[in-house]
Amino acid sequence: MLSYIIRRLLLIIPTLLGITMVAFFVMGLSPGGVGGPLMQGAGGGMRAEEARAIREYYSKRYGLDQPLVVQYARWLNQISPAGFKSTGEGWPRTARFGLKLPDLGRSFSKGRPVSELMLEAVPLTLLLNALTIPVTYAIAIFTGIYAARKRGGMVDVTTGTLFLALWSVPTIWAGVMLIGFFANRQYFQWFPTGGLHDTLADGMQFLPGWTSAGFERGWLLDTLWHLALPVFCLSYGGFAFLSRLTRGAILENLRADYARTARAKGLDERTVLFRHVFRNSLLPLITVAAYILPGLLAGSIIVENIFSIPGMGRLVIDAVYTRDRELVLAETLIAGILGLLSYVMADLLYLVADPRVSYD
Amino acid sequence: MTSSTATSVMTGAKAPAARPRSLMAIVLRDTVSQLGARLAVAWIGLLILGAVFGPFIANSFPLIARVDGRWESPMWRYLVPTDVVLLVVFIATIILCGVRQMTVPVKVGIVIWLLALVIPLALWAVLARDLSWYRHEYGTGLVVISLGVAFGLDLAVLVLVPLKLPLSSRQWTILGLFAAALTGILVLHPVKPPTTIIYDQYRELGRAGRMQFSLPAPVPYSPTDRLRDQPDAQLLAPDTRHWMGTEINGADVFSRMIHASRVALAIGFIATGIAIVAGCAVGGVMGYFSGRVDMLGMRLLEIFEAIPTLFLLISCVAFFGRSLYLVMVIIGLTSWSGYARFVRAEFLRLRNQDFVLAAIAAGLPLRSVLFRHMLPNGLVPVLVSASFGVASAILSESVLSFLGLGLIDEPSWGDLLNQATGQGGTFTWWLAVFPGLAIFLTVFSYNLIGEALRDALDPKLRDGASD
Repeated sequence: MLSYIIRRLLLIIPTLLGITMVAFFVMGLSPGGVGGPLMQGAGGGMRAEEARAIREYYSKRYGLDQPLVVQYARWLNQISPAGFKSTGEGWPRTARFGLKLPDLGRSFSKGRPVSELMLEAVPLTLLLNALTIPVTYAIAIFTGIYAARKRGGMVDVTTGTLFLALWSVPTIWAGVMLIGFFANRQYFQWFPTGGLHDTLADGMQFLPGWTSAGFERGWLLDTLWHLALPVFCLSYGGFAFLSRLTRGAILENLRADYARTARAKGLDERTVLFRHVFRNSLLPLITVAAYILPGLLAGSIIVENIFSIPGMGRLVIDAVYTRDRELVLAETLIAGILGLLSYVMADLLYLVADPRVSYD
Repeated sequence: MTSSTATSVMTGAKAPAARPRSLMAIVLRDTVSQLGARLAVAWIGLLILGAVFGPFIANSFPLIARVDGRWESPMWRYLVPTDVVLLVVFIATIILCGVRQMTVPVKVGIVIWLLALVIPLALWAVLARDLSWYRHEYGTGLVVISLGVAFGLDLAVLVLVPLKLPLSSRQWTILGLFAAALTGILVLHPVKPPTTIIYDQYRELGRAGRMQFSLPAPVPYSPTDRLRDQPDAQLLAPDTRHWMGTEINGADVFSRMIHASRVALAIGFIATGIAIVAGCAVGGVMGYFSGRVDMLGMRLLEIFEAIPTLFLLISCVAFFGRSLYLVMVIIGLTSWSGYARFVRAEFLRLRNQDFVLAAIAAGLPLRSVLFRHMLPNGLVPVLVSASFGVASAILSESVLSFLGLGLIDEPSWGDLLNQATGQGGTFTWWLAVFPGLAIFLTVFSYNLIGEALRDALDPKLRDGASD
């Protein structure tokens, strides 16, 4: 078991190499090159020699004047925990091999360390996803079981078509409609238009309560209020899809021999459903879980842009617009790691849920 | 699957329709027999009509006009080569659909041959006019080489395809006459839209009283007509003149919506086509050889599955510039992994079956075994994911346009949706509702068709087992 986990985790490394290589060479081979607009922007208002000096400075600092393969090797060395460490000028003569801190580099456009930017952005995206996944599964399992029990009834037939429709609703449309109709002065201003907190949220108490100025919603409720629309946008596609999956799995299992046996020994339908059928129906939900997280990360790009949440999705669009190589690579790396880890997690969960599965 | 296929074919043969039906025909018939799928097909049909006849439906130039006592058709004069190619191919396809005694591959062959004929015929006048500009921009050598290669390939298709087509002499005569008529028309009346397009010129003529008669298009606004003669035409709410209002630059939204269906459908079909071809090639080789090739292939698949597609798409478009073809290729190249998995599984199942072993034993070349014998048997399930694939390709394009990374100056549903929320928190409902609805209906249609295909393919459901 442990060896299986270790093997799976080690297999992540070549895949990550492949992913970053694709991202790196796409950027490197593009006309205009890395940091193009930035360097031209820097050269815009100054004399030719100053612009050239800046370009030379950037080239030297990020190694842009070297062949792409060398640049990629340099980047790999920079992010790996074990590698060559430069101890002074004149790389690589004075470099020593050894353990070091992985470094994601400095962002071209923001002038700050990438790791710092990521530390600000990643938790927001993860918070969004951490709220979305339970919401998705709760609604999906509830409606799926209900539809399967009342099979062929009104609710089942309506939700069947409705959920396929809901699954097809593009996130961009849902986001724009929600923000337009429910967070807008012209119609209903029930929700904030964007961001994660109110401007006054720092001064609020954590929990809602009564203060001298009347009711105060508190930091927690404020955050949830800001997150309501984005989380809905991220979750509706998932629960529509998962609900249909749950329904199918439960119906299949209700017809299985073991369900008939359970009924034959006198268990009531409720026990059959929840103790026997439901547990077996969880398996497809777990396999699909692996595909949910990468999908959510992609969805975050759209949702964070619509609702102005400064998470990874916002950062990646900024990075791509300014051709910020270090930032794009770090984003790709982290999105890749999260996606691959979720595949591994799903395999392990599968093992827990189904004792018949063995990876040894 | 194969045994149930055989029984279905047999029951199909017993039915009054007497003609033996392929699995594909049965699946398609079962699919279209469902109400949802039928509505979905109708919506896609509407989009195709909009894509082909866009210039006839929504155009600032009248279909027919009489200016200063002279009859003319401004609409025809302003058609671009793409319009003409689409029109010819559409008409030819409709005619071919009515012909009964040809097999589908032969019809596809004829359409490809016609495409090879029409594209240069529609392009030559514009190319000849802009040649000096291209030479200035890319250098004479590059232009000569690329034109030569394109012309050579085209000529090869024109000559080689007829050699392979099993047509009777009568069919050849009809096709030849059609091609000759087409060539004659396009040589005598070359497709050569004026370089400067003034959209309001016929409106001006009408106002000046110089136009005695005009038959305008049903929607008398071109998608890129910014209504320069009406200075306050931006962001007008829907009314009787602009059925879906106008957008930020003053262009008519309904007209843009109609013309945007062309981009959406093109991206959907071509990107999915690329993905299917790549997926079948890689998956087929993996499944047939299995073993070490399979192991390496699976790693490659995992890499492509783990690449965050939207990330890659956004960076490619931002770094390489916005081009329709680039978007198609990237969506295609990042979404083939699903098809490859499908085809691999099918081929792993098929490779030890008798007909494949017989084909190998007969000494057929690998190409023939893989693509003539195995692929047709493993292809039908791919249809299901292809339908979902078209939906997601269309969605990707609209997301790109929504993020401001779409095509420049081309109408797109995502781009219209992007304009709905403006600076300062304004919200323009008609720019959110209509384009969003179009994206939704298109994606929903393809998903419905995919579901119906899956049901039709499921042997448990098809043999009358209840669900």
